[in-house]
Amino acid sequence: MAEPAVKSVPTASAAAVTTQQSAKRQEIFAGLVFIAPAFVILFLFMILPLLVAGYFSLTDWNGRRPLNQEGAYEIVGLRNYEQLLIQGRRVDDFYNALKNTVYYVLGVVPTQTIIALVLAVIVNQKWMRWRGFFRTAYYFPSITSSIVVSMIFLFMFSNTGPVNGFLSSVFPSYKPVTWLANNDGVIHNFLGVLGITENSSTFLKDTEIFRISLWDWLSGPSVSLLTIMILAIWTTIGTMMVVYLSALQNIPAQVYEAAYVDGATAWQAFRKITVPLLAPTTFFVITLGLIGTFQVFDQIYVLRNDTTRETTMSVAYLVYDFAFGSLNDPRMDRATATAVTLFLIIFVATLIQRRITGGDQAK
Amino acid sequence: MVKMRLVALALLLVLALSLSGIAAAQDSVTLRVWTGSSSPAENEFKEAQFARFQEANPNITLDVLISPDYGTQIQAAFAAGDYPEVFTAGQFDFPSYVDSGLLMPAGDRIVEPDDIYPSLQAAFSDADGNAYCVPKDFSTLALFYNADYFEQAGVDAPTAEWTWDDMSAAAQAITDADLTTADGIEVVGLSAAADRNRWMAFFWGNGAQLFNDADEVVFDSPESIASLEFYANFVTAGTGAIPANLGGAGWNGEAFGKGYAAMTVEGNWAIGYLRNDFPDVNWGVVEIPTAPSGNKGTLTFTECWAVGANAANDPAVADAAWALVNFLTGPEEAVANGNEGFGPMPARASAAEAWLAAQGDVGAPFVAGADYAWAPVFPLGYGDFTAAVDEGTVAVMNGEATAEEAITEAAEIAREIQAEG
Repeated sequence: MAEPAVKSVPTASAAAVTTQQSAKRQEIFAGLVFIAPAFVILFLFMILPLLVAGYFSLTDWNGRRPLNQEGAYEIVGLRNYEQLLIQGRRVDDFYNALKNTVYYVLGVVPTQTIIALVLAVIVNQKWMRWRGFFRTAYYFPSITSSIVVSMIFLFMFSNTGPVNGFLSSVFPSYKPVTWLANNDGVIHNFLGVLGITENSSTFLKDTEIFRISLWDWLSGPSVSLLTIMILAIWTTIGTMMVVYLSALQNIPAQVYEAAYVDGATAWQAFRKITVPLLAPTTFFVITLGLIGTFQVFDQIYVLRNDTTRETTMSVAYLVYDFAFGSLNDPRMDRATATAVTLFLIIFVATLIQRRITGGDQAK
Repeated sequence: MVKMRLVALALLLVLALSLSGIAAAQDSVTLRVWTGSSSPAENEFKEAQFARFQEANPNITLDVLISPDYGTQIQAAFAAGDYPEVFTAGQFDFPSYVDSGLLMPAGDRIVEPDDIYPSLQAAFSDADGNAYCVPKDFSTLALFYNADYFEQAGVDAPTAEWTWDDMSAAAQAITDADLTTADGIEVVGLSAAADRNRWMAFFWGNGAQLFNDADEVVFDSPESIASLEFYANFVTAGTGAIPANLGGAGWNGEAFGKGYAAMTVEGNWAIGYLRNDFPDVNWGVVEIPTAPSGNKGTLTFTECWAVGANAANDPAVADAAWALVNFLTGPEEAVANGNEGFGPMPARASAAEAWLAAQGDVGAPFVAGADYAWAPVFPLGYGDFTAAVDEGTVAVMNGEATAEEAITEAAEIAREIQAEG
């Protein structure tokens, strides 16, 4: 079989080149066909709307004027961004929302990542009984509708709800907290325990950045927002745990065996083997968490009320509020400008996070 | 192959049938009619109305959509420029609808316009008084009180002659009486939502305005400040509370129904809610107490049937659309609406009796309110102003700002907006 092949080398190689070329072409074609559905969907529902939103953020469209009508909108340049970010009546609203969102992200993402990792390691232990049950139990909140979960929290954290009931039965001196209607910042509360109040420092009280005083910037999330953060952590750890679990099962058992032969303790094995080998997963989990938390909307939609309007306002909620909150004066232009700004914030935050967690080295 | 051919044949048949359907419809007019979905009773009533209209006008075909997600759907339709010929509009949406050129002016097409409450028609007219939209029904605010608590605290039940001072004194007396509910919560005098659309009943009652006759912003008048002070004082003085702090209630009606508060300011939509969910509570309703100015004020929330500007292109469509709107809002249907007796009151004075008969005595204060009610709608472009009022309302009721500070700040913003034009 080898002989004739060698004989026909020149013709065969020419044929091979053409077949190789056409095979390559076919491959490219097949590749394009395979990514086409995903690309079309992404383009139609993500990229195109993003571009359209970017366009309308440069106009004064109210979201109602028929676009096929003459003079439905005018191009106003960067006016919406200027009014939102630099000077305007709603500048403090935007930075207040941004402040709340950042506290929310900083509180939720590390907590849910660490708890998910610990839970995943625990339910991955071989000696663990009813592993299946625990895995299901922890995953359950993630597959429940966030609206339903929010309603449950609404009940649990109400004045006469189970949380306050439990706390007052354990600590008889506990004064019931109105979890979902409390605007006090938790850092403010903590400082208050140490005897530091708004009036302790005129520098903090009187220095204003974007019409919000330094003291208010340092408030931390309000008690109401903290409750929403607890809810977010509780619902997301299940998903993150499942991701960690699948990565854990990909770590070869021999690595651990070798470590134990060398005399490693369980803690050392966790620190020196599990955590480093899970780094790519951690990057993924944190990225997902970051994007999800920056866009927090539905939990806030259900759990806020008139009195916590300001301290539970997130940037994503502000987008909704501008576009649909005021029936009297809908501002689609401003809403899209806010949405584009939020997109840029998330983009930058993800880049920074990629640097810090070394996501580019992760395979 | 045979199968393919059969499918193709079937498709052709369907196409032919639908084409013939279009051909048949061309002799008559088809109207797209969109409205929001509310209670099952009201949806049923709307369906019945459409059926009655169809029967009387066989040449007009109605393509009806009753949507639970109406606001989003119609906004998308407006933006696309392909919207229904007849639809409902709320008072808050109205100014931007007119500004966006979405409504066909009514001209003199409205039947028996004098029968419609002037305060409602005013809510659906532009600054020059041109009507665009015909009020369908409306709600007003009044004072609900828990008769048992008043008796237990030894306070006389409220009357229509009550003043602000009487209301404050009663809230104080009931709070001081230390009544508790079955689940151990202390009863307060008033459930007071931190909502612009509640306290502003006292604002207009006290003779305050956003603009004076010379079109200057007078939102920071002493009457205005006094009205917010009066309302917020219930909460800051502890003789009232916001519903969220009353057993975590979602709104005034719930806090009141569960017995956490002896009084609350709510609309006639609360009547059916209280009857269904809290049949054991012994409650009554009176008009909102008289302000120091000697006048009464209340807020109205109303909806109208509108004809889209797109109907104006074709006289036949416009005539059909106005025929439908006049049918839906006309005297006869208003009485039918009243007889049904669900939530809102018919927009025609001639139908008030029917509504009262269906609703009972508790409806009377709401009907009486129609004479001095204000639609709490501010001009287009004043969104930042209303946002400032909302923020200020919450700040004052949380004790973080005085009424004067909050009102002054909002007034400054209104002046700024006015100066920008």
